[in-house]
Amino acid sequence: MSDIIVILVILAIVSASITKIVIEKKKGTKCIGCPAGGTSKNTCGCNTHK
Amino acid sequence: MSMKEQIKVALTGNPNSGKTTLFNAITGRIEQVGNWAGVTIEKKEGDIKKGLNKSNVQITAVDLPGAYSMSPFTSEESITSGFVRNENPDVIINIVDSTNLSRSLFFTTQLLELEIPVVVALNKCDLSKKKATNIDVDSLSKLLGCPVVETVSTKGNNNGLEDLISTVVEVTGKTQTAPFDSKGVNMADQKSVEASDKKRYEFVKEIVSKVEERKVISSKQTKQDAVDRVLAHKWLGIPIFALVMWVVFSISQAHLGPLLADTFVGWIDSFYAWVEGSLGDGVSPVLSSILLDGIIGGVGAVVGFLPLIMVLFFLLALLEDCGYMARVAVVMDRFFKKVGLSGKSIIPMIVGIGCSIPGVMSTRTIKNERQRRTTAMLTPFMPCGAKLPVIALFAGVFFNDAAWVGVTMYFVGIAIIILGALLVVRITGEKNARSFFIMELPEYRFPSIKRAAVSMLSRGKAFIIKAGTIILLCNAAVHIMQTFNWQFQAVAEGAENTSILASMASPFAIILVPLGFGAWQLAAAAITGFIAKENVVGTLAVVYGITNFIDTEELALVSGSADVAQIMGLTSVAALAYLMFNLFTPPCFAAIGAMNSEMENKKWLWGGIAFQFGMGYVVAFMTYQIGTMITTGALGSGFIPGLVAVALMIGYVVYLVRKGDEVAKRKVALSS
Repeated sequence: MSDIIVILVILAIVSASITKIVIEKKKGTKCIGCPAGGTSKNTCGCNTHK
Repeated sequence: MSMKEQIKVALTGNPNSGKTTLFNAITGRIEQVGNWAGVTIEKKEGDIKKGLNKSNVQITAVDLPGAYSMSPFTSEESITSGFVRNENPDVIINIVDSTNLSRSLFFTTQLLELEIPVVVALNKCDLSKKKATNIDVDSLSKLLGCPVVETVSTKGNNNGLEDLISTVVEVTGKTQTAPFDSKGVNMADQKSVEASDKKRYEFVKEIVSKVEERKVISSKQTKQDAVDRVLAHKWLGIPIFALVMWVVFSISQAHLGPLLADTFVGWIDSFYAWVEGSLGDGVSPVLSSILLDGIIGGVGAVVGFLPLIMVLFFLLALLEDCGYMARVAVVMDRFFKKVGLSGKSIIPMIVGIGCSIPGVMSTRTIKNERQRRTTAMLTPFMPCGAKLPVIALFAGVFFNDAAWVGVTMYFVGIAIIILGALLVVRITGEKNARSFFIMELPEYRFPSIKRAAVSMLSRGKAFIIKAGTIILLCNAAVHIMQTFNWQFQAVAEGAENTSILASMASPFAIILVPLGFGAWQLAAAAITGFIAKENVVGTLAVVYGITNFIDTEELALVSGSADVAQIMGLTSVAALAYLMFNLFTPPCFAAIGAMNSEMENKKWLWGGIAFQFGMGYVVAFMTYQIGTMITTGALGSGFIPGLVAVALMIGYVVYLVRKGDEVAKRKVALSS
């Protein structure tokens, strides 16, 4: 029983991490956890005109 | 006047006029600011705070990159002119640096011609008053034909921001008249445009003479000029920078940082012990090990360095805010110009100290394509925040927390950048190209503790998010791969080299033998470092079973550093080589992605990655072999195959340089 609880805890931690990564990727963040390292929905990413 | 329910306000102004500081103050957002020109390279949106906006209208502010005129010269200036021309903002807030009125009003007069209501925010009023510069705000408003509001966006209260927002609401929907009209000018005719610009300058000069009264004449030498003569001196500038960085590293890595880390790691240890106690003996050792050593231990080992990193970034933010980093750019420009880089290249590199990704992204401010691509390729050589735990770990384990280790890594990074730029300019056949850089030096100011604290906290938050996501998953995966073999049976204790991880990392470890670190564990840590550089620390913690690197009993950075060094099986020289290999080989995948978008050329991208791999390998090889020769009197292991590999790499680069020189000769022949 205690093994199952530990497996569930590990799965919960890993799932939470994956979910956070997926959410950030959907937002368009290039680097999760990088300060100013992403393109949030509030930035245009308009770097095409060089 | 028809009042809309929602209006869009564009924040425009010259570089370093305080747009983003004002944007942060009116929206409550935390966007990166810096006391130099060119920090903002993209537009950013945010709603005005309720406390400032007393109306029923929802106001969205758009922070735009700095621009000197509506005729774009750089890509970020084109974002600004493109937005105000094409996106039809309801109001333009033009942030004018009150300490530099004559330069700022050129752009203001252009904005007034767009027929969009303009409100001038006369910013940095505290600084101009300190200099005893009086500006007649009412007269300025009359002469420009738009409201002018005095602001100090760095102040918390009485900063004029409430007045600014209420003025924005008042002018919404009104028509804007222009005091200087250039509508009849043929924009296709260069001479007409130049003549019009000249007239505009005269017009601005006339306004300034009517409204501004200066006690301090700009052409007179000030105290600031005297300080600049020392800090930005062509010879003294570099040793001063080295000394400043040494002090920063001493405080963050050897004194205050470890002191705070000690308490912090104590909490992590307590949490580890609590989880261990809660699990009891009934849980499978494999599961308990994945949770304790893989997840909590691995993440804890990385997070343990958080206080050191936060102290470092706090100090760097203070240096940036007071205006010192802009002087460093001036000092470095001498060297960069000689190797064909733009003086502007230093800005991405300074930004890259925080994180390589925004550093690489800010290369888009460089107009010259070769210089932009070269800068994007070389920026990751500046050790970023993610590499700091690796530096701190190795400085602690092998060099008794010596501050010189960190400082040396920055200077080796700068030396590699200069060498790399020199090679690129030769390979591309542009060795005769000259570049010029004019940088507007910001005024020195007392650094804001609040801004530094905000910068530090945002980096701390980012670090924790990264540790809880990418690093956690990597550590869990590394631990599972180390626990099981390919038949998915748990490997026996002492037989870890039969694990999945060992079998995957071992082929790479062979290549690393000439560099002094041919163990599969070290190869595995270096490989996971390409996902995120902090992973090097996390993976070392997992594969060597070290739960934390910071001693809670002895107030030392590393717990039992001699034991840790022995477990890793590295000499000090090999450890230094390993540190350099991790710092100077390609950055994380996300930074490579940023390089890809800024370079816009696959040949450059792959050439850059190959250069980074080659440079990391050569530097580590030389460090290990020369260091071993000096310390032991004999060459290190794998010298001959390593020498062959290094000779091949250098030989290929020499071949490319010669080819480039031929191209340069042909260019000279064609031009003469």
